[in-house]
Amino acid sequence: MGSSIRHYFSVAACFARLAIQRQLEYPLFLFSWLLMIPIQYFSGIWMLKIIVDRFQPLNGWDFPELTFLYGLGLISHGIFVVFFINTWQIDRMVIEGAFDRLLLRPMNVFFQLIASYINFIGLIDCIPGIIIFIYGCQLVGFEWTFLNIIKLLLVLLGGVMIRAALFISLGTIAFWTKRNASMVGFTLAMLERGTMYPISIYPYAIQVLFTFILPIGFISFYPAAEFLNKSSEAFQLPLSFALATPVIGFACFFLSQWIFRFGMKSYESAGS
Amino acid sequence: MDAVIEVNDLVKEYIVTKKESGLRGALKGLLFPEKKTVRGVDGITFSIAQGEIVGYIGPNGAGKSTTIKMLTGILHPTSGSIKVCGISPQADRKSVVRKLGVVFGQRTQLYWDLRLGESFELLRRIYQIDKETYEDNLSILTDVLKLHEFIHTPVRQLSLGQRMRGDIAAAMLHSPSILFLDEPTIGLDADAKHAIRLFIKEINQKRGVTVILTTHDLDDVEQLCSRLVVVNHGKVVEDGPMASLIHKLAPHRLLVVELQHPFSDLSHPLAEIIKQDGLKIWYQFEKDRISAAQLISELSQKLPIQDLSVKEPNIEDAIREVYKAT
Repeated sequence: MGSSIRHYFSVAACFARLAIQRQLEYPLFLFSWLLMIPIQYFSGIWMLKIIVDRFQPLNGWDFPELTFLYGLGLISHGIFVVFFINTWQIDRMVIEGAFDRLLLRPMNVFFQLIASYINFIGLIDCIPGIIIFIYGCQLVGFEWTFLNIIKLLLVLLGGVMIRAALFISLGTIAFWTKRNASMVGFTLAMLERGTMYPISIYPYAIQVLFTFILPIGFISFYPAAEFLNKSSEAFQLPLSFALATPVIGFACFFLSQWIFRFGMKSYESAGS
Repeated sequence: MDAVIEVNDLVKEYIVTKKESGLRGALKGLLFPEKKTVRGVDGITFSIAQGEIVGYIGPNGAGKSTTIKMLTGILHPTSGSIKVCGISPQADRKSVVRKLGVVFGQRTQLYWDLRLGESFELLRRIYQIDKETYEDNLSILTDVLKLHEFIHTPVRQLSLGQRMRGDIAAAMLHSPSILFLDEPTIGLDADAKHAIRLFIKEINQKRGVTVILTTHDLDDVEQLCSRLVVVNHGKVVEDGPMASLIHKLAPHRLLVVELQHPFSDLSHPLAEIIKQDGLKIWYQFEKDRISAAQLISELSQKLPIQDLSVKEPNIEDAIREVYKAT
């Protein structure tokens, strides 16, 4: 067991080193991300400000609270794209035969899928997220107590798990359909809308969807509501929301692992 | 000899949707799909002994790649059983693949953006190859495949021949006892093909590695394989040593005779004239019924022979016969 863990660590470290080297091979590409990603997210927060200033708070959420919410969602997105970006490419790997290669190596397939590409460029996604979140924390007067920090870390962990579970399940569909790129794009858009705005602004059916079926609400909305002491929002759940997020995150993640393993059994490879 | 691979009544079925042409066909296929089951591999049985080099050949779509993918644990068979070194690749994939080296000629497992050596380093960790064995293997591979010329070159800059040599080395680093090669010489020039064939012979003789080779290059087959398994339409149609296969499928030989001057009675009871072009005559005969020497001596008694040659049937004729027959 110990040697097995050491084995996986050693391979993960080597994968990570190679991933950095591969990403540094294309410095201009790196630079373009460095330019584009902050523009995308800072314009996002700017839009929120305009909406709130011109019209009214969104269902009781004012600009500082929205900034907090948006920042929280962005950080978990940033961490997700660092570690799990390969889940977006499962269809390509199936078609190009790269997935066959994972099956030919004496290691866990899911581990290889995730570890083989740590996306360090994704750290660029985290920076605007952290800036926006800290700005939001200041605006709402977030208290950096030990308990709050622990809660925050658990929420981020859970949020990343929920996102990962969604894309793992989605990626598994590619074992049957061979294509799912458009679904990845759609899910990304849905995640952005579900984590950037309070889900209480949506119709009841969407709230149910984002709470019980695709628990996107637990990535940022429910924990933010908990941190900000906002009540009478959407659904009343018995657990403290901040603690519900990691529990739901792990549950979703294990479910997605099960789906992935089930999918591998009917994996049909592609072409010759 | 012990069998390292045992395949018993292997079947792989696919469900395909019948596609019709045009927009109307596409819509119809979407609304009322006509599904049918196709057997890509239809009851294949064979066993391969340690140290054999087996050519697994057949026309495109015969089920070669599908079989290879089941043997290596990538695909699950619909029915039938596979044992590789006594273990089912479907039940215990990790134990089986540790013993396998697999090269897909049309795909690479090397990192496109990185130096060849970096991919090797990764494989060293994945297969937990200890430093000593790794250095040993690498130096042998470098020797035979001449990797030193390009081991520090990014893979994207390698020629196809270099890349293939790199891929074969990558598959051999962990000293597998069975090597699967799926079209290893496709698209290569004569030099690169020669180097790869030499390498296959060497690892087979020196290390006793069992090699399963699929190819459309019959020179590969002729120079490497002691045994052929020919598949078509998902079934094994021939299985045996190459010499007996040629003998069985192409028992005819040709005797080409060139005369000094025209002659009227050319016939011989045991040889059939299949072509005549001026003074050149092609006789076809079966070597079981008359030997070449005897035919030549009998013909030379009555014919004014200027020159002659005997043509052996080759593997290509034999394979063409198999494909035609099924």
